[in-house]
Amino acid sequence: MPLLPDLSGIGGDATRIVLLITRREFITRVRSRIFIAGTIILMGLLGGYIVLQALVFSHSATKVTVGFAGAAQALATPLKAAAGADLQVQIQNVSAVAKGQDQVRSGDLDALVSGDPAAPDVAVKESLDPTLAATLTGLAQEVALNRSLTASGVDPKAVEAAVAKAAINVQYLDPNAALRTQRIVVGIFVAALLYIALQIYGQLVAAGVVEEKANRIIEILLSTVRPRQLLFGKVLGIGLVGFVQLLLLGAVALVAVAKTQVINVPTVGVTAVAGGLLWFVLGFVFYALIFAAGGALVSRQEDLGAVTVPITMLILGAYLVFFWLVANPDNSIGIALSVLPPFAPVLMPARMATGDAQAWQVALAVVLTLLGIVGMNALAARIYSNSVLRVGSRIKLIEAWRGSH
Amino acid sequence: MSRGRRRGNEPEGGSPFEAYLGLVGDGQGLEILSITKRYGDLVAVRDLSLEVQPGEVLGFVGSNGAGKTTTMRIVLGVLEADGGEVRWGGAPIGFETRRRSGYMPEERGLYPKMRIGEQLLYLAQLHGAGKADAAAAVKRWLERFGLGDRMRDEVQKLSHGNQQRVQLAAALVFEPLMLILDEPFAGLDPEAVDSMSEVLHERAAAGIPVVFSSHQLELVERICDRVAIIQRGHLIAHGTIDELRTGGPERLWVDAPGAPAGWAAALAGVQVVRTDGTRVLLELDGAGDDQSILTAALATGPVREFRRDIPSLLDVFREAMTENRVATPA
Repeated sequence: MPLLPDLSGIGGDATRIVLLITRREFITRVRSRIFIAGTIILMGLLGGYIVLQALVFSHSATKVTVGFAGAAQALATPLKAAAGADLQVQIQNVSAVAKGQDQVRSGDLDALVSGDPAAPDVAVKESLDPTLAATLTGLAQEVALNRSLTASGVDPKAVEAAVAKAAINVQYLDPNAALRTQRIVVGIFVAALLYIALQIYGQLVAAGVVEEKANRIIEILLSTVRPRQLLFGKVLGIGLVGFVQLLLLGAVALVAVAKTQVINVPTVGVTAVAGGLLWFVLGFVFYALIFAAGGALVSRQEDLGAVTVPITMLILGAYLVFFWLVANPDNSIGIALSVLPPFAPVLMPARMATGDAQAWQVALAVVLTLLGIVGMNALAARIYSNSVLRVGSRIKLIEAWRGSH
Repeated sequence: MSRGRRRGNEPEGGSPFEAYLGLVGDGQGLEILSITKRYGDLVAVRDLSLEVQPGEVLGFVGSNGAGKTTTMRIVLGVLEADGGEVRWGGAPIGFETRRRSGYMPEERGLYPKMRIGEQLLYLAQLHGAGKADAAAAVKRWLERFGLGDRMRDEVQKLSHGNQQRVQLAAALVFEPLMLILDEPFAGLDPEAVDSMSEVLHERAAAGIPVVFSSHQLELVERICDRVAIIQRGHLIAHGTIDELRTGGPERLWVDAPGAPAGWAAALAGVQVVRTDGTRVLLELDGAGDDQSILTAALATGPVREFRRDIPSLLDVFREAMTENRVATPA
């Protein structure tokens, strides 16, 4: 009759073990210099890129400083009011024409307006901004019109009110054309970021598995925890690192977009970031399991390439398919691919960002990827458990599956 | 074929530690019952049985590839046996017992870039220790090994000997129920060997079974209570050092310089094992009697030497290997 005490209470719960492993994987990586520096650099690059886009594509408003002398000062306030988004006017009153002309010559003023408001003299150094010229001409004509109206005994205010009512009605026949270009750019961004993130973090999982094999700590670990617990802890911990990094990048992107207004519709950015994060989680778990199984097949970091290249090619394939999908958004083969697990993690968030994905497609892709994760989990955990203790040359997949030598 | 006698199942009894630990029901500690492990056609361990009592230090001896590491891995549950059973305290060993076993694999394994203190704390917690207990144990063991001020250093920054100490600490920081150490003394200087063997004895004295494998037979002879010799997956000898050394047929060195050549061969119940100048090494079978040999020797003239030959463990080991090679040709 064994008198052993019941030891199951001594922290035997699997969750605690998995969390301990997750914590180690997360902390050792997040604390590393390469992660901190890499994240800061990426945040800088992404923010900088968005700001650069804003600078290149926005119609930068012309800023002019205009001096007014004498009677022409009556035009100053109407000019400021008439200047639209394309023209920013700064007004300066000048005491004498000669003094104002000096200021134009020295560059303090861009133009000096003087004389009769209905036919003002405009002094410039060498050229007059066309928008400013057109606006000033319109104002002078209005002054002239008002004078004639007053002379004919008509109240210029009433005429102005009647004129103000007249407007054109614009019909937008393809309202999304401009927006679509922006969304495609965002979609390419999302696809590229997911492609890179899945690659990098997937490879980190494979390298982490090989690290434990290569330095043989695996033997100590497996005398204490079950292979599955080790596998899950590692996938969770490294995935969390990737999630945190993408979250930071997404936040930078959203802030930069909001500040620069490079995208006209703010929801596009939010959808892109939220969709990207969701699909990173799903795609990472799916691919990390494959990477872990691949890593378990080899014993040295040098041999890792041979097993990870096919996996990375699959992710690269998904990324490339996206460009074809952008050109053919309604192609049924492309849509089908974007729903299937190996491609969905890159294609679906990108299609969500471009606005091409329909809700049922997203839902189907999520369900199929979750099923893919369940299947891959059974497959990967078995290969991992069978191979992780075996050292030496690369293990054949079929051997790893069977688990016999 | 086995030189040593297997110890019976008489209860050890009486150790206050057993009562205190409440862990070893009928004093049976660790039992390995006819385990077998095959790798394809190769039988790495064949029908191997062994037991280690609480408080005992067992030396596990054998040449490379004899099956020592495989056996240890099976005990720890790192490998699964094809047949046989490992028992603890009279019942099949469970995951929780294995989890609380201190293991030092032959190929040392630690995270090279992780800080020593954090690494040991992590491993202790994985082995089931609570955080506060683990932290205290890590501090205590590192201080004991003279590494108290290196807690924040990465493992890779330590010397080989110190890495070995950390490796041993990794097997100790969670109050293990048993210690299974694969070649713990390999590559250590004499001073480190002494301090490590001191720790093993101390742990054994605290009531846990300690098993370690080694090639260094004189070390095994010095440190172990009992020895198990394994060859090609077979246990070929098993017993206390004394049992092994005296367990064989009685042998005598006789130096009778005046005796004619071949005088001893004529004696009844005696075989000449070796001749060294005028000295002969005689092996007595059941019919042989040392007193009649002495009388016969004195009859030839003066006898300069007459003594019982007690082999060293190395001799026992060599002989066990040769005997076994003859007995079971592969």
